[in-house]
Amino acid sequence: MKNLIKNKKGQFVIIAMLMIAIMIISVGAIMHRAVTYYKHEPWEEYLTLMGNIELNSQRLVELSLVNYTQTEANNTYVLGDNLQKWQKNLTRIYLGYGASLNYTLANGTNYNYSFGLARNWNKAASFSAARVNFTLNIASIGLTGYEFMATAFLNLTILSIASNEVNVTVKGEDGVLITSLQKDNFEVSGFTISGFTSHYDREEGLVYTIECDSAVSTPVTVRVWDERGIQVTATGP
Amino acid sequence: MKNKNGQMRVIETILASFIIVFALSFANILAITPTSQKYEATELEKLGYNVLHDLDEQGLLARFVYTEEWDDIVAALRVTLPIDVYFNMTVYYLDDTNVTKVNQKPISYGYPETFVTSKNIASITYGLIGYPIGNNSTYQATYDPRIIILQLARG
Repeated sequence: MKNLIKNKKGQFVIIAMLMIAIMIISVGAIMHRAVTYYKHEPWEEYLTLMGNIELNSQRLVELSLVNYTQTEANNTYVLGDNLQKWQKNLTRIYLGYGASLNYTLANGTNYNYSFGLARNWNKAASFSAARVNFTLNIASIGLTGYEFMATAFLNLTILSIASNEVNVTVKGEDGVLITSLQKDNFEVSGFTISGFTSHYDREEGLVYTIECDSAVSTPVTVRVWDERGIQVTATGP
Repeated sequence: MKNKNGQMRVIETILASFIIVFALSFANILAITPTSQKYEATELEKLGYNVLHDLDEQGLLARFVYTEEWDDIVAALRVTLPIDVYFNMTVYYLDDTNVTKVNQKPISYGYPETFVTSKNIASITYGLIGYPIGNNSTYQATYDPRIIILQLARG
């Protein structure tokens, strides 16, 4: 045993092995941090949760605008009422996340919003609009002050009338042309729609031509509703 | 055989080997590999959220739920989820005080016992706010919240 201990050879092997061991333990620690990071911070799950809340808020704004444009009555409280209910139910739907949503209804601006809703009908260029600014907090991930805006917009412009034809354009948010409308999405007051075509115009983009059963006299009233159910009534030109 | 030098080296090497094996075992215990159970449940949750969100963005989820087209929901989920993922969905109506189950017909795919025996079941909660139902110019567009609970398990 004394000989064994007194044997002074082999120190290099010890040092090398210890260094390798230290390196492996260090790599292990780094690996541990890397692989458990995902477990503690499942960002994608929270991003989808935020996406869900954002999408539902957008849908609620659209739904409220549909409700608002269904009647001639100027019930501008519908959006605020719906948002209050959504704000209250959010914590019940996403229990344990600590989700809370604050909102600011648009007022004034160029569309003359009132409680987040606006409509300017019976003009040659008419529109229906809604806009709300949201702030989302999710306490469980320390998210505060995530801001997003939800808007809904539909514009109907009567371009011209020629005999029994009415030419109109329909635009959505940011002036994007609505291209999916059919004959059933339009109504011409006092006339039956007998034909419906569309063509591309260099200046106006997509122009819908509504053919009526008899010659149309000016001004004419046209009503449109898009796939979401938002309506606009225009009179002109 | 008579060479008595170097025994200490052998012992040192054995000791060092033990240290290496210990280090590797330690790292392996702490690592959450892609096939581990902890990872699997989170992965299924992500998958479920993404599938519901995609269907909702396309406007299909709200339409199927509010018009109670349960068979279409099953078909849509079967198309979008991997074939080895089983699901069980329940739709609830949310009023001021209560939460009431809406679908009397099961919205599911796979062996029901999988949701009892499986160690990894992901549960996803998803909210809907309403859907304008109508034809031509008349729409009923009211705030009418629903909660969707989607359970996922690997078959």
